[in-house]
Amino acid sequence: MKDLTELKKIEKFADQCMKCGFCSFFCPVYQEERVETSVARGKNYLVRLALKGEQEFTPEMGDIIGKCLLCKRCAANCPSKTQIDRVVVGARAQMVKDKGLGFIKNFAFRKVMANRKAFGRYLKLAKAFQWMFPKTEGNIRHLPDFLKALGHGRNIPTLAKTFLRDMVKPVYKPVNGEKPKMRVGFFMGCATDFIYPELGLKLIDFLTKRGIEVVVPENQNCCGAAIYFSGDFETGRMLAEENIKAFKDVDYVVTACGTCSSTLKDYQKYLPDNEDQQKRYEAFEKKIKDSTEFVIDVMKIPPEDFKLRKEFEGKTATWHDPCHLIRYQNIKEQPRAILKALKGLKYVEMPNADMCCGMGGSFSVYHYDLTKKIADKKMDGIKATGADIVVTACPGCMINLIDNALRNKMTQKVYHFLELVE
Amino acid sequence: MLKESLVSEFQKIVGNENVLTTPEALKAYSYDGTTSWIHEPDCVVFPKNTKEISEIMKIANAEKIPVTPRGGGTNVSGGSVPIMGGVVLCTTKMNTIVKIDKENLTATVEPGVVLQDLTMRLMKEGLFFPPDPQSFLGATLGGIIAENAGGPACVKYGVTKQYILGLEVVLPDGRITNFGGRTLKNVVGYDLLHIFVSSEGTLGIITKAELKLNPIPPAKKTIMAVYAEIAMAGESVFRVLENGVIPGKIELLDNWVINRIEEMMPMGLPKDADAVLLFECDGIPEAVEKETEKIVEITKKYGAVDVRVAKDMDEANKYWMARKAGFAAVFGKAPTVMAEDVTVPRGKIPEFIKRCRDLAKKYDVEMCILGHAGDGNLHPSILSDIKNKDLYERSLKAMDGIIEGAVEMGGVLSGEHGIGLEKQKFFRRAVDPVAVELMIKIKALIDPNNIMNPGKIWD
Repeated sequence: MKDLTELKKIEKFADQCMKCGFCSFFCPVYQEERVETSVARGKNYLVRLALKGEQEFTPEMGDIIGKCLLCKRCAANCPSKTQIDRVVVGARAQMVKDKGLGFIKNFAFRKVMANRKAFGRYLKLAKAFQWMFPKTEGNIRHLPDFLKALGHGRNIPTLAKTFLRDMVKPVYKPVNGEKPKMRVGFFMGCATDFIYPELGLKLIDFLTKRGIEVVVPENQNCCGAAIYFSGDFETGRMLAEENIKAFKDVDYVVTACGTCSSTLKDYQKYLPDNEDQQKRYEAFEKKIKDSTEFVIDVMKIPPEDFKLRKEFEGKTATWHDPCHLIRYQNIKEQPRAILKALKGLKYVEMPNADMCCGMGGSFSVYHYDLTKKIADKKMDGIKATGADIVVTACPGCMINLIDNALRNKMTQKVYHFLELVE
Repeated sequence: MLKESLVSEFQKIVGNENVLTTPEALKAYSYDGTTSWIHEPDCVVFPKNTKEISEIMKIANAEKIPVTPRGGGTNVSGGSVPIMGGVVLCTTKMNTIVKIDKENLTATVEPGVVLQDLTMRLMKEGLFFPPDPQSFLGATLGGIIAENAGGPACVKYGVTKQYILGLEVVLPDGRITNFGGRTLKNVVGYDLLHIFVSSEGTLGIITKAELKLNPIPPAKKTIMAVYAEIAMAGESVFRVLENGVIPGKIELLDNWVINRIEEMMPMGLPKDADAVLLFECDGIPEAVEKETEKIVEITKKYGAVDVRVAKDMDEANKYWMARKAGFAAVFGKAPTVMAEDVTVPRGKIPEFIKRCRDLAKKYDVEMCILGHAGDGNLHPSILSDIKNKDLYERSLKAMDGIIEGAVEMGGVLSGEHGIGLEKQKFFRRAVDPVAVELMIKIKALIDPNNIMNPGKIWD
């Protein structure tokens, strides 16, 4: 009998699907392709066959379970509450267990991304050559994505001149010199580190101005999203251990990246192999806060106390819900409350604000044509609002929104909500 | 297995990317919304227009290959399962709403248009298309027409067949033809249109449809009547109607369903009630007010222990959300759910409900009852488990008893889901032999090679 450890863990979720097909309406991929293997029901059915030993992890099967944004829109609307994200990730993990990672991913995940120093070195190398590529406003998220996305006509922006890691201090005391209200660990994440270092500095500044001590452990590692969502649980667990260790002495861990906060919280959901891991991942989850939820739910800053930065006065803004905020962390109202309360800014809700922008991490690298189609719908929603700026809280989404806004020759600029406030 | 050469002929017609033959894809087209019917096709073809369908059918007819038409695959009768293999002809990529004609209150659609997409488009125009199988999020118009689907609004608005004015159809030999037209009245010749509506894909492929639309009623009101005895709820249905009120919807939820919904999303439904009826009145505001008053009065008179009129849209939406959640509540609670689709004359509803409950007791199975009580279309559902042999067999027996009971009372096998594979074994028992013979002859006349969705209905 074959070892189906990873599939067994998600069997009960796969069995919940009643094949009603409602997921098709909510799936951005099915909406473009209209083929059963694109949608949750089809994927789930094939995984159930794999559990029964009636379906091998063929390359075709790999393509099928690979073609999911993990946006969880189907799961959120499933009448029988099938957690298809767990099924898909579990199937990918089983496939990695059976077949290994393949050379490129093995190199990218284990030799580059999971090695903080090497990752930086490779990126610095890439930086030296980036004048070769077309320029845009934001930047790329993961080195392998960056290299693979070349030649696809994508707008690839410049990397930061100095990475955040080379700028930060290990400890920041509250600026007023008083005893800190709490001790918060700042989790950088790749995007903030290499692409938007100013976001990280902004968050540190925002917190220390309000009496919080911020620590930036040097030995923090990648959150692991691209890695464990691809099924590389082994590297995922290693990263989990490193991050838990790096942040063991703080009250909270805060990040400016929706994907990072969600990924760190969800170690407990996807990765545990035994009870001990389960417990420690769960304890870690409780410390993690996305910046949007931290300022409202933990710091309890009333939305009307936020001050708009001068350059945004008179602008109209709309909010894009990153999947990792709205469905993974149930963060919907907090950012809206801030945007609506900001004096001098006009807020307009966009149609389908919760629909995935099409990025889906490495999905956009392997399926860039699909990403563009999905993003076009998002762009239609943005255009319909007549907004000047699109605000969100995930650098991944920002990169994709910028790429597609440029491609659609739109005037809207994309910002992280931290960039809007004093 | 199909010959390689045929696959490449199909590829020439629709393009390589629109023919699927990998084992994985074939498995993904082996099922529909039912639990127990599975069979893989030899190939799946996605045509983009009528001409392509015609060419595919010419080849299939010449080679005598079974063709099973399919849309979203949400049906619950087994109708789109390719039980004889062959080609699944999937219309999901033909999903254009060709025209909405506000002057004539009609819409022209391709078969792969998803009902909810149509509903959202129509809403912007102040229009609606009443038939609504509750799988509206995935169901396509081609399937809705071929299955003659129903839904909650049937009590006042009727089933799909009342809303189809014209069809473009590709016959099994590839000929393209049209039935009906765009007018409300049409009495020219035999009514072939309605043979195709409810043909369950056995006569040809619907490639375009002319739909009749209604304006969205300006006012709506929701009433919930609570009963200590489910049979009393059944009686209230025909009492309301015989007293001259025809609400837009009358839906029934029994105690089991109420409690599962409350577990899933607490909203203050009466957990002790044996059953509740949900009424929705729609129309011009004054009429809706009067009808609401009348329903409150009649339901109280005929045994409702409590009657609530939703004070606003929010409360009304809550109740209808509960009705929609009923589906999930049932299906999420057992590995195998057998949901019936029988329809009885409305006067028999109380007697039929009693029969269902007796059968549940006799065969010791868990059963709940919900459905479109207003038109006598009930969905008694048995919670079973196909892996538990003893339980599954008892469930099957109870299910047989339900169907036999309904037919005995002058009801029919299916109100809205069709026969497909699910109800085949009852078909000849429930339908007059002469009618069966005529149906078989019509089938042979239109599809002499028996390639259209073979193995379904009476086969």
